[in-house]
Amino acid sequence: MSRHARDDNVPLNADATSSRDLALEVENLRTVFHTEHEQIHAVDGISFNIRRGETVGLVGESGSGKSVTARSILGLIESPGEIDPASAIRFEGDNITEYTESEYESIRGDGIAMVFQDPLSTLNPVYTVGNQIKEALSLHQDLRGTAATERAIELLEEVGIPDAARRVTEYPHQFSGGMRQRAVIAMALACAPEVLICDEPTTALDVTIQAQIIDLLMDIQAERDLSILFITHDMGVIAEVADRVNVMYAGEIVESAPVEPLFAEPKHPYTRGLLRSIPSTQTSGDRLETIKGEVPTPNEPASSCRFAPRCPKSFEECSEVAPIPTAVGDDPDHDAACLLYPESMTTDEAVAHHRPADDGGEQ
Amino acid sequence: MGRWEYFLKRVLLMVPIVFLGTTVTFLILRVGPIDPAAAIIGPSGDTEAYAAIRDSLGLDQPLWIQYAEFMRDLLTLQLGESWVVVRGQSVWELVGVYGPRTLWLGFWSILIPIFVGLPLGFYAGLNPNTLADYIASFGGIVWRAMPNFWLAVIFVSVLTQSDALFGFSWGDWLVETQIVTPPDLSGLWEPTQFLGALKAILPAALVLGSASMGNEMRIGRTAVLETKNANYVEMAKAKGVPGRLVVWKHMFRNALIPLVPVITGEAFLLLGGSVLVETVFAINGLGYLFFQATINGDVPLVGSLMFLFILLSVGINILQDFLYTVIDPRVGYDGGA
Repeated sequence: MSRHARDDNVPLNADATSSRDLALEVENLRTVFHTEHEQIHAVDGISFNIRRGETVGLVGESGSGKSVTARSILGLIESPGEIDPASAIRFEGDNITEYTESEYESIRGDGIAMVFQDPLSTLNPVYTVGNQIKEALSLHQDLRGTAATERAIELLEEVGIPDAARRVTEYPHQFSGGMRQRAVIAMALACAPEVLICDEPTTALDVTIQAQIIDLLMDIQAERDLSILFITHDMGVIAEVADRVNVMYAGEIVESAPVEPLFAEPKHPYTRGLLRSIPSTQTSGDRLETIKGEVPTPNEPASSCRFAPRCPKSFEECSEVAPIPTAVGDDPDHDAACLLYPESMTTDEAVAHHRPADDGGEQ
Repeated sequence: MGRWEYFLKRVLLMVPIVFLGTTVTFLILRVGPIDPAAAIIGPSGDTEAYAAIRDSLGLDQPLWIQYAEFMRDLLTLQLGESWVVVRGQSVWELVGVYGPRTLWLGFWSILIPIFVGLPLGFYAGLNPNTLADYIASFGGIVWRAMPNFWLAVIFVSVLTQSDALFGFSWGDWLVETQIVTPPDLSGLWEPTQFLGALKAILPAALVLGSASMGNEMRIGRTAVLETKNANYVEMAKAKGVPGRLVVWKHMFRNALIPLVPVITGEAFLLLGGSVLVETVFAINGLGYLFFQATINGDVPLVGSLMFLFILLSVGINILQDFLYTVIDPRVGYDGGA
């Protein structure tokens, strides 16, 4: 139904990675919020996948649709939000967007678990930390009573909480921010998931604690062969954790690549801007570079490049043609949605390449 | 500081409050314009008899001695006798006669809103912006808006004429009861007696509880809406907790926290609010007794009833702190980790 339906991450190496190696596959995901005056296309036709044991990053500014993507995967989108029926999210062979609420409940937690952004508010204040971990254990491991308590203590120890036997009976308000995030991670582990979605898990924490939490997540991943979708706006964190990166802008993925080529040779002007606005990458100049303006609200289907108004390289056609993901660079996994590519073509040819099929521009 | 330490501290704080409240009562009664001797003797009494009464009541003694005796008697629960309303009757006996009616009325006027207002509010909060929500919310506002005294009069006149109006006699329905009379509270353990007493108090309890019902509905709705969007509710869903458990375990307990003061606040209806309704429905309860004692200048009766009211309100406050302490583990927590 749409040009974006073409999955641009998979085809080139479809032979190399059979679908059995994919822990999660998101194809042409569209999540729309209906308001009184307009429709917000919060996620507008994105496709990506996560292989087993791999960490895939999803980066973008606030409002680019990262968290909505995470919630769409877990089926947590509520009215007035809606996932377009043509979208597909494949997990364990099923298209889970077609699931009913009770089917979703069966994969939440032990299939796909999630660690949220703000550990201060993701734990229920009126129950002990132990109680909340044991709730997950009884739902997914069928552990109750003393066995559950012991397992909860083990999990707390595993995520590096000292004196876990005492801590398990304490309430969230008795934990510090970093400890709470560890407790939330312990709770996610109690579900024994295949895929862990981390939605800005370190954003609310200070830098030293951030590093500890990231190390913890990486250790857990190595131990359990977890597949992680790591959502953040912090390019520094992404460089550290991700194997592959998807850069999101205004509901679309504008560039996706393995982490090295992305940082070494960013292709999309937006990615370049993001990388230039990291303080440590700038060696000269006295002011930090920024991308001027802010992310637009995608309130209509894409008919142009949404980054064009802020793009230093935009030209006339940018406001007329919506770019599609195109292979760029040497790595077969490296795609960017920008009219400047493919580099081998002249600008006119490239624009024609991006133009919708009925205009004769499709390959 | 632990939760229960905090609770104990709150209970201890109530002691000076009782003391202060009683002292203020004494001052208002003795320093104010009420002359108990004149009230006893009536307008026709002569000066000598008046002086004799003043002397026998100890009203000529220095104020501080009167104060000390007043406090001593109340704190040792010697509530004395009525001087005017039922002369010579002990206050305890009067409370024994009038008290149960008010307690019965108060009990139902608190219980009905809790069991009607709260579930409606929670339901509306769980299904916001549906037709059911609009009906419940609108009903809540209407109940909230109707004043007690007016609603009481309407109830009385409709119910007494229900036969003529609807062809249905409220008085004869199920058990025969009067509409405007104190409920018969004897033999409550027998089903028919219980039903009769409940039916007799129901209109008054509905009227007295009407405002609370509206309040609890509206605040219950807001509280549920707030917890519904809380991050910990999303977290609970994300870890696969079934929808019903999310609601009962993760939402309701949190939603109850803002409702505790609302509900205990309604419990103060037992004190002041019931006077009007008791008068309209002729339920001769404590409110009515207090009103009579006040306008007749029955000083010891007013003082003793005030003391009981103070104890009751302090007791409700302690109950509120107790509920808080049980529901919310953060109570008494003063920061740090």
